[in-house]
Amino acid sequence: MNVALNKDFRRKIVDMVVTGKDGHIPSAFSIVDIITVLYRDVLSYDARNPEWKDRDYFILSKGHGCLALYVNLHHHGFITDLDMELFCKKGGILGEHPDRTKVPGAEASTGSLGHGLSFAVGITLGLKIQSRTNRMFVLLGDGECHEGTVWEAANIARNRRLGNICAIVDWNESAMQLMPEDDMLKKWAAFGWNVHLVDGHNENDIRAAIKTIQFKVDGLPSVIIAKTIKGKGVPMLEGHGVWHHRIPDQQEYRQIIEALS
Amino acid sequence: MIKSTRQQFADTMLNVGKENQSLVVMVGDIGHGILKPFAEACQGRYYNVGILEPTMVSMAAGLAASGLCPVIHTIAPFLIERSFEQIKLDFCYHKLPGNIVTVGSAFDYSNLGCTHHCYGDFALLKTLQRTEICFPASPVEFDQLFRAAYQNEQLTVYRIAGKSHGIDFSARDIIFGKVIRVEEGKDVTLIATGPHLRTVLTARDRLGCNGINAEVIYVHTIRPLDVEFIRASVEKTRKVVVVEEHIRSGGLGDEILHATYNIPEMKFHSVSIPDSFITGYGTYEELSVACGLTPDAVIDAVNLWFS
Repeated sequence: MNVALNKDFRRKIVDMVVTGKDGHIPSAFSIVDIITVLYRDVLSYDARNPEWKDRDYFILSKGHGCLALYVNLHHHGFITDLDMELFCKKGGILGEHPDRTKVPGAEASTGSLGHGLSFAVGITLGLKIQSRTNRMFVLLGDGECHEGTVWEAANIARNRRLGNICAIVDWNESAMQLMPEDDMLKKWAAFGWNVHLVDGHNENDIRAAIKTIQFKVDGLPSVIIAKTIKGKGVPMLEGHGVWHHRIPDQQEYRQIIEALS
Repeated sequence: MIKSTRQQFADTMLNVGKENQSLVVMVGDIGHGILKPFAEACQGRYYNVGILEPTMVSMAAGLAASGLCPVIHTIAPFLIERSFEQIKLDFCYHKLPGNIVTVGSAFDYSNLGCTHHCYGDFALLKTLQRTEICFPASPVEFDQLFRAAYQNEQLTVYRIAGKSHGIDFSARDIIFGKVIRVEEGKDVTLIATGPHLRTVLTARDRLGCNGINAEVIYVHTIRPLDVEFIRASVEKTRKVVVVEEHIRSGGLGDEILHATYNIPEMKFHSVSIPDSFITGYGTYEELSVACGLTPDAVIDAVNLWFS
């Protein structure tokens, strides 16, 4: 059932890109399974009241994967059919990067890489100051981890003992194209985070890892390194080639949909 | 001993912090000594986060998103110029409120060289929506301006001057967004911001000896600018000189020129830092002279108009 649901989301993502004539399909396919698990099985939220004080936070730091967020926000009632239809169109609220001032449920306006974790650390510190126990999930790309601010924030989260943060790194090996020496687990461990390795397309694996995290307000932060495949689910889209920011033509669209049926 | 504006910053944090439990102060590894009373009185609301200014800005925006009132403090070039994208996106694009308090603006750290100078901050900040800019150059100004603006919905930047102009304003003189008419006059309007109010007052005295009666306006709030008052003065005198510790491009002078350019027969002169790096050394006063921020520069400009 889970696999079928994710194929539904993947088809919806492709439809949005074709209709909106823009978007990053492979980046969204890389993380859609992770975000699906979060919204279905993990996060506490109220779609009718997205700013509910006791909610868990989810920040998509790699904003260009936003289609994976949008299909989940839509599925769970944060945004409407019309919002989805107007993706990248005049008058719509959904662009190629999420805008927190427009999109219900989007906690941060991301797109410029290297901001999300620092912003998340600030929110989590603020919650801790106020003795609030909301959990914070923040999803980063592995390429994004080239940014120095990621490690500045990681350093602070460890030293301020922000145990309510769970970072998730979409380790689809984008970063390794440029920097092949990229032991993500060792790097995060060296910064003092609790590190978990999962298959980022196996929902049971993702769920199980999150269940083991204790989320202590004054504990160590945790990171889930999710091994993923960019474009996962459609062989022709997989990898780091031309499909990063390409719109399928009619024939390609049919091939993709066939692969997802 | 006269209190510095920076010490007033620490005192104001202590006093406001006791009144307002949402006030949180973060510093980038400076100011620990003067902020110790705040740290002790407001436990859990003082953080020396380290030398990572862009992340400190993003974190402060996160604090604001969690419902708190952030104040961040460190040296101007690192907090404004290095962290500009974080200011732009995490505060301004997010529409989050906050407060940035800088020291070491312009060439206050004169001998530390260009890495520690910051004389383009007004210009940068003015490109962003939802920013306010104050330049307090005496303790009472900082206290009044901070109290007036710190809880509003904007991002307010307080550029603490390293030197005071030495003028003893009363608290009721200081109104956020309003200029102060320090001296009334009819022949020319001299406008100053920051410590160079003293430069302008010296120039006024000397111009007075030659029979030129200058009006002196002091600007502590660069944005929002009190355009109405400034325009009324320039409509009266038709001549204006603006003195500021900022590069010519994008500073207070540009703003005043925009506000007054269509006044008939208006004459304008900017006494500001040339649009180039200041690569020399010396005291603050010596660099002021090297940049041409002097009474003579003001007097020469005015005398040309009356010759």
